[in-house]
Amino acid sequence: MSASDVKESSFSLPSNMTVRNITSAHQDLLQFIDQNEATSLVLATDLQADISTVQLLEAARIYASTGGKSVSLAEPATGTLLDTLRRSGFLEGMSREDAQFWLHQEEIQ
Amino acid sequence: MSFPDPIAVFRTEAAEVLEQIEAGLLDLNVNLGDKDQVDAVFRGLHTLKGSGAMFGFEALAAFTHHCETAFDRVRKGEVPATRELVTAVLGAKDHMRALVETPTGDHEAASEALLATLRRAVEGSGDGSSAPPAATTSHTPAAVASAASAPKQILYKIRFSLPQNAMANGTNPLPLLDELVDLGECRIVADRSAIPSLDQLFPTDLHIAWDVELLTSQPRAAIEDVFIFVMDEMQLQIDEIEIAAPVAAAVATVASAVQQPVPVVQQAPPPARAASPAPTDAKQAKAAENVRVPAEKLDELMDRVGELVIAQSRLSQLAGSSGDLQLRAVSEDVERLSGELRDTMMVLRMVPVTQLFGRFRRLVHDLSIETGKAIELVMEGETTEVDKSVIERLADPLVHLVRNSCDHGLETPEERLAAGKPEAGRILLSARQQAGEVIITIKDDGRGINKERVRAKAESSGLIPANASLSDQELYQLIFQPGFSTASQVTNLSGRGVGMDVVKRTIDALRGTINVVSQPGQGSEISLAIPLTLAIIDGLLVRVGTGRYVIPLSAVEECLELSVEDDMRSRGRSFISLRDSLVPFIRLRDLFRTGTKPDPFQKVVVTSTGSERVGLVVDQIIGDHQTVIKSMSKLHHDVATFSGATILGDGDVALILDVGHLVAEGQQQEAHLRAAG
Repeated sequence: MSASDVKESSFSLPSNMTVRNITSAHQDLLQFIDQNEATSLVLATDLQADISTVQLLEAARIYASTGGKSVSLAEPATGTLLDTLRRSGFLEGMSREDAQFWLHQEEIQ
Repeated sequence: MSFPDPIAVFRTEAAEVLEQIEAGLLDLNVNLGDKDQVDAVFRGLHTLKGSGAMFGFEALAAFTHHCETAFDRVRKGEVPATRELVTAVLGAKDHMRALVETPTGDHEAASEALLATLRRAVEGSGDGSSAPPAATTSHTPAAVASAASAPKQILYKIRFSLPQNAMANGTNPLPLLDELVDLGECRIVADRSAIPSLDQLFPTDLHIAWDVELLTSQPRAAIEDVFIFVMDEMQLQIDEIEIAAPVAAAVATVASAVQQPVPVVQQAPPPARAASPAPTDAKQAKAAENVRVPAEKLDELMDRVGELVIAQSRLSQLAGSSGDLQLRAVSEDVERLSGELRDTMMVLRMVPVTQLFGRFRRLVHDLSIETGKAIELVMEGETTEVDKSVIERLADPLVHLVRNSCDHGLETPEERLAAGKPEAGRILLSARQQAGEVIITIKDDGRGINKERVRAKAESSGLIPANASLSDQELYQLIFQPGFSTASQVTNLSGRGVGMDVVKRTIDALRGTINVVSQPGQGSEISLAIPLTLAIIDGLLVRVGTGRYVIPLSAVEECLELSVEDDMRSRGRSFISLRDSLVPFIRLRDLFRTGTKPDPFQKVVVTSTGSERVGLVVDQIIGDHQTVIKSMSKLHHDVATFSGATILGDGDVALILDVGHLVAEGQQQEAHLRAAG
């Protein structure tokens, strides 16, 4: 089965993804990835993010790739998530895969 | 896997920070020039504000911000620390506690009033501003701009990682990184290599480290200042690199690119790791050795250990009556292990009384202001350890006793000076362990208890008949009767006769005793003797008639045989001669009305509380017994002779003797016999 054959399932992240609420999001996301081959993460338009959000999504990428699955963002990071990535130094030294995941950028700019 | 509720964790942490703030303020009040305490209070306020904002306690963060700002100004030498400021922030601290506990409550009016007091305190210290000082940080943009124009630029290579529980404890790394950015031209790279897989992730833990290149004219101390609140628990390495001007410009270009809204993605080599361990490694390792456990989990574990001890007791009994040697060997092993487990459990539950005593510094500070009396509080033996449940239940009685000492015990400054005493009254709060008990003493150097007034009040209220013959101790014990007060004035603090009876009830419930000593004009001393633990004790199992009873081993001094002849000789006297001193004894068979014949060789178990002794005559001493204390039912609440019950190995119930009560009864019996001649 080629990658294009895998049906992508959408998982909507809650709007509050800060450390206050991250625990429930963690459990739900873990279950969802377990049940699906390819997960597309839908970010809330009013997403509240902090460093725990970024860490959780990075952990999800590791988990999915270890299990031969995939995780992606439905839309590139914007708003507080992009701001958190920028302020916390995640945009520095990004690999091509990181740029694709977070920013949907194919080329290194 | 279950995760702790971050809000609950924050509340726990906030309570600790608030205690630290209070302790710092009280220390500062003693020495207003103590810069370390100013820094400590400032750090506490800053932490509370930051973590409060992070966990959604916006009102707390906003309110705390004003106090933090005031202390920042003290820290910078812009305004002096004054007693008014300390008092204002102490009041504000209480309000912060309310904002933590009920964040959605209506706190606006109280906040305004407290901030007005704070404002006055700051103005009164010569500041001159009419509003709470605006937020200032060590590194404002203006300061940075000015620094940027300074000629000497240094490139710092910084690597840091925060403690794993930093986020759960309310430390947000982003403001720290922002503060670094404010210091100069900055390039920040997150090291995500330690982030685990999602199934291994504890989502409130932090697994990210940072490498930062900072070009600035600021000194190294300015960088350390960014981490001042987490310095003790984090790993931080700062290397200074001398650079030529063109390199500095290049770094500046890279750093400014970081600030662009559209990120620059580049294949940068991973930053070099620290070659040597950071100096805080040892501290972090030490911190990692401690685990925070909810108190109820300890109680749960204690209950399990209690059940295990009962089961072990049953096993021992079965093994004892069986001829199976292997079973006996296993039973002995289980007995040893359960004993060790019990001891370990006891140690886990022990906490130093400093946790209890700490709150009295504030109480005395406030009472000093309320009463207009100068009061010096001295604490001794704060490291003495007591079972945590005992500590919790001692708080209220001690508050009553300390209030009473401050309000009634200590004289006004004028009265003290007239009596040739120092102007400041002294209250000593001390703790020490003594034979299975902790003795907590509240001693003041005030006027002492007026025995005549106590007697008159007791007689007028019908507690004692007129001219009753009472020892000093019996007279003093009357002050613990409900509604008893000799105070001519009822104040906000005491004098209503409510409180001392609460002390008595609580100490009784803890199986403790109260001893009062007082000297007119010299002061009073109230000692509370409390068992070290309320859960499991070593007991001496005895038989009286057909019933079995437990005597707490900590109260047992020795055991003697009471021959039939001695028993006959002592009829009507109930004294035994023990190494030239007469010790009263109580025949438990008579007390319990067993209706059985005494054993031919009865035993006297000599027990004591403090310096007073009494012998308890029993039919048989069965042996030592690990006693899991079970509370008496409400129906038996008034039975003073017993402090609890326990389940024996064969399933029977044995009552635990209240030695304090029996000793008091024995002493009373002695006094009456002496009085009768």
